[in-house]
Amino acid sequence: MVSRRTAALIALAATLCMMLGLASAAHAFDEAKYPDLSGQWRRIGPDRWDGASNRDAPLTPEYRAIYEKTRKTEAGNMIADPMLTCQSPGMPRIMQAYQPMEIIVTPDTTHILIEHIHDSRRIHTDGRPWPGEVDPSFRGLSIGQWQDTDGDGRFDTLVAETRHFQGPRYFDGSGLPLHEDNKTVVRERISLDKSNPDILIDEITVTDSALTRPWTVTKSYRRDRTPVLVHRESVCADNTAHVAIGDEMYVVGPDGNLTPTRPGQPPPDLRYFPR
Amino acid sequence: MRGLLGLAAVAAMLAMATVDANADDASKYPDLKGVWNRVGAPRWDQQDRTYKNAPLTPEYRAIYEANVKDQEAGGQGTDPTYTCLSPGMPRIMNVYEPMEIVVTPDTTHILIEHIHDSRRIHTDGRPWTDNVEPSFRGYTIGQWEDTDGDGRYDTLIAETRFLKGPRSYDSTGLPFHVDNKTVIREKIYLDKSNPDLLYDEITVIDNALTRPWTVTRKYQRERTRFPIWRESLCAENNTHVAIGKDDYMVSADGLLMPTRKDQQPPDLRYFNQARK
Repeated sequence: MVSRRTAALIALAATLCMMLGLASAAHAFDEAKYPDLSGQWRRIGPDRWDGASNRDAPLTPEYRAIYEKTRKTEAGNMIADPMLTCQSPGMPRIMQAYQPMEIIVTPDTTHILIEHIHDSRRIHTDGRPWPGEVDPSFRGLSIGQWQDTDGDGRFDTLVAETRHFQGPRYFDGSGLPLHEDNKTVVRERISLDKSNPDILIDEITVTDSALTRPWTVTKSYRRDRTPVLVHRESVCADNTAHVAIGDEMYVVGPDGNLTPTRPGQPPPDLRYFPR
Repeated sequence: MRGLLGLAAVAAMLAMATVDANADDASKYPDLKGVWNRVGAPRWDQQDRTYKNAPLTPEYRAIYEANVKDQEAGGQGTDPTYTCLSPGMPRIMNVYEPMEIVVTPDTTHILIEHIHDSRRIHTDGRPWTDNVEPSFRGYTIGQWEDTDGDGRYDTLIAETRFLKGPRSYDSTGLPFHVDNKTVIREKIYLDKSNPDLLYDEITVIDNALTRPWTVTRKYQRERTRFPIWRESLCAENNTHVAIGKDDYMVSADGLLMPTRKDQQPPDLRYFNQARK
């Protein structure tokens, strides 16, 4: 039989341990709660939205016609790609991850950092509601929440929605277009592959007026765990020779002179220059 | 009594072990969350805005003055950012748009929307290496210090090397040496009496200067519950077009225009059609 004094001592010890446990849980909790997304992530597959040819893209007839009329290179890439003059690819095209992606998880925000053009984005996980008025942007405004889908006490899936876009935007380098009304909604489910923690999956569903139905594709990225000493800077304006003058795209050649980008392209109109 | 003391001792040991293991990264660093806005104009030296007293060598004083004349005539002088080139370091710390600072144990991220101004200060203990590709923002290594001995870090000391150009200190075109051997040292810390004021004491060593030059930049925190980080795309509405060494503009009707009086149009030797 346990004496009252002994029982009191045990209760005190138990209480102290519980308090310490809660304290340690509060501190360790944030880091342990989230998946390890450290390292650099590189896209698996070509620069095509469906990972292949986009042949079955559910475009409306109007936007199918626009897509087919897009001037392309032999490799099937649009000649007047706005990225060539350093326009942002915007969402969802940012998730083509044209350069390696770094992901920083904090309780309020998951930062996706990509050097390419202006592709970094934030997924706000601070519980904010959708605001009434938002300046549209190429990357949109993303609000999300982490979910524990397998009930193991740790978050494993980031569910995000992105709205409030401006354009023009395309799905990828082939020029597969999004509607000029910019009423796109992008929904994502981001998680590590359960059988390979060095594969990241982003299941992306796009709802857009250029599509006949919501369109879901799954993008995958491979983790490179090599410690990165230097994140290579990529300043688009420093790397591009393309210039846009009105609706025409030209290239500045190595000799500093303007050159056409297709046969028979007219030169720029010089009416504002003295003869 | 002995039992109570024994239990207390065990509890105390557990407590120490737990706090040490978990007095972790978040509590060690200053709270830098929020939106940081520049205090004052984006001029490198807030007190001497025409740079009469900037410690330039005679050669670079002459380059600067020629740049001023060019800007007065409608040119860009030695300010290279008009075609959306990165302002680079240290000019990034003019913080042209609101700044977010995300501290992790290995890296302090400075995130700024403007052009391509985000940077990393590596605090993972890495050594300097020789083989670094130069960049506009340079390569930055730092370490957090506890300067007041209270057990928490309060100052981030950083050094940046391996820069490329062209760069200027601000839009006046105040230039750096073309050899790009700039070294930048920073001390970043909160104001002890106002935690919503952040200082960056920046010392520049550069061959265009007669001596190291130190200025202190100040930033004010905005504690918004749900900050919106406004996208800022330089290329989106930029009407400047660089063709070779010449700067032109594109008018509202999409036509090429000169940027100064009597500027010649670009050479169209590679086009077949006659000039319109």
